[in-house]
Amino acid sequence: MSSAPSKRHVPLLLGYKKTKAMVRGKDKKVSLNLTSMIDMFTILVVFLIKSYSAEGQIVTISDALTLPQSRSEQRIELNLEIMVTGDAIVVDGEPIVYVDEELLSQGNPIPVLVERLSDHLEYTRLMRGISDEEEMKVNIQGDVAIPAILLQRVMSSCATAGYSTQNLTVIKVEGGDEE
Amino acid sequence: MAKPASGRSHRIRHSPEVDLLPVMNLFCVIIPFLLLSASFLEISIIEMAPTEGISTSGAGTTSLAQSEEQQLQPKVIMTQEQMFLGTVFGTSPISQVTQEVRGGELVDTYDLQALSDALEDLREELDREFASIPVHKITILTEDNIRYDNIVMVIDVCAEHGFDQPGLQVAAYSVLRRQLDAAAAASGGE
Repeated sequence: MSSAPSKRHVPLLLGYKKTKAMVRGKDKKVSLNLTSMIDMFTILVVFLIKSYSAEGQIVTISDALTLPQSRSEQRIELNLEIMVTGDAIVVDGEPIVYVDEELLSQGNPIPVLVERLSDHLEYTRLMRGISDEEEMKVNIQGDVAIPAILLQRVMSSCATAGYSTQNLTVIKVEGGDEE
Repeated sequence: MAKPASGRSHRIRHSPEVDLLPVMNLFCVIIPFLLLSASFLEISIIEMAPTEGISTSGAGTTSLAQSEEQQLQPKVIMTQEQMFLGTVFGTSPISQVTQEVRGGELVDTYDLQALSDALEDLREELDREFASIPVHKITILTEDNIRYDNIVMVIDVCAEHGFDQPGLQVAAYSVLRRQLDAAAAASGGE
């Protein structure tokens, strides 16, 4: 049986029904060259495996803010999320304080935020049975354009409420060694 | 007439063909799965070290009972005009603030390469003079309206040189100016 590819144009038919053209040239086998496609798929699979995340996304980034970029390698943990934008401070999805001139003119903890965070801490301790000694952490998602005073007020509010460790959420970028 | 045998084999060797269809089937299953679970945006965190707040009078950063590491802890001071590096060896200006377009907006920017060079020198000096004391903490002391992304960039540069426990302090310009003047007077008096 000859396996040489036909020089005649033979349409690729996916069905089983044989046409007259196929019956006439029944010895001619059409083979699709898959090598180049396999090459492409291999590259694609390698790229996708590299960017594969088994954990999934454990934080949701709001559209209202743009996170800063950093070369930090530290992995994010599931903690209480505080979003700080130029308009409002949001704790666990609930807007707590709206940002205005008065808020930016002082440098102390924000009482409403401290109260909300303390309540959350108390609730977490009761529900999950976390001891007082255990370190409580909070993730702060700040917009790139917020002023330092706002960030500092949020951080000091967290510290006052009992969240001793504050993590800044950032977008990881590659290229730490290129400089 | 038959040709005489030449002694060579004239059999045509067919290379065996690999059936690629099962591989294609596998790829067709794997690729949609990987596409769905791929994360193209990786989120990480910067863990901040707890710092004492700075009061409006400028006090609050010094304490009598400071540990050796605290005494050696450097401080990057960011104002809207300049950036300074305050160390146990003295406070020195690093760079002037310039402006660049970032995200379609004209914003202040700092010379991070100059900061990197200064921190590299400081790290060498600390390793030489105080080899037994590990210094990882650094304080970022900023004016109250410095942009958050500038702070994160400075934290990144600090982490590259082993100062990976950043703390944040914020003060009004007048307070920072007073601190810088005091530091300049102290280094001039020595």
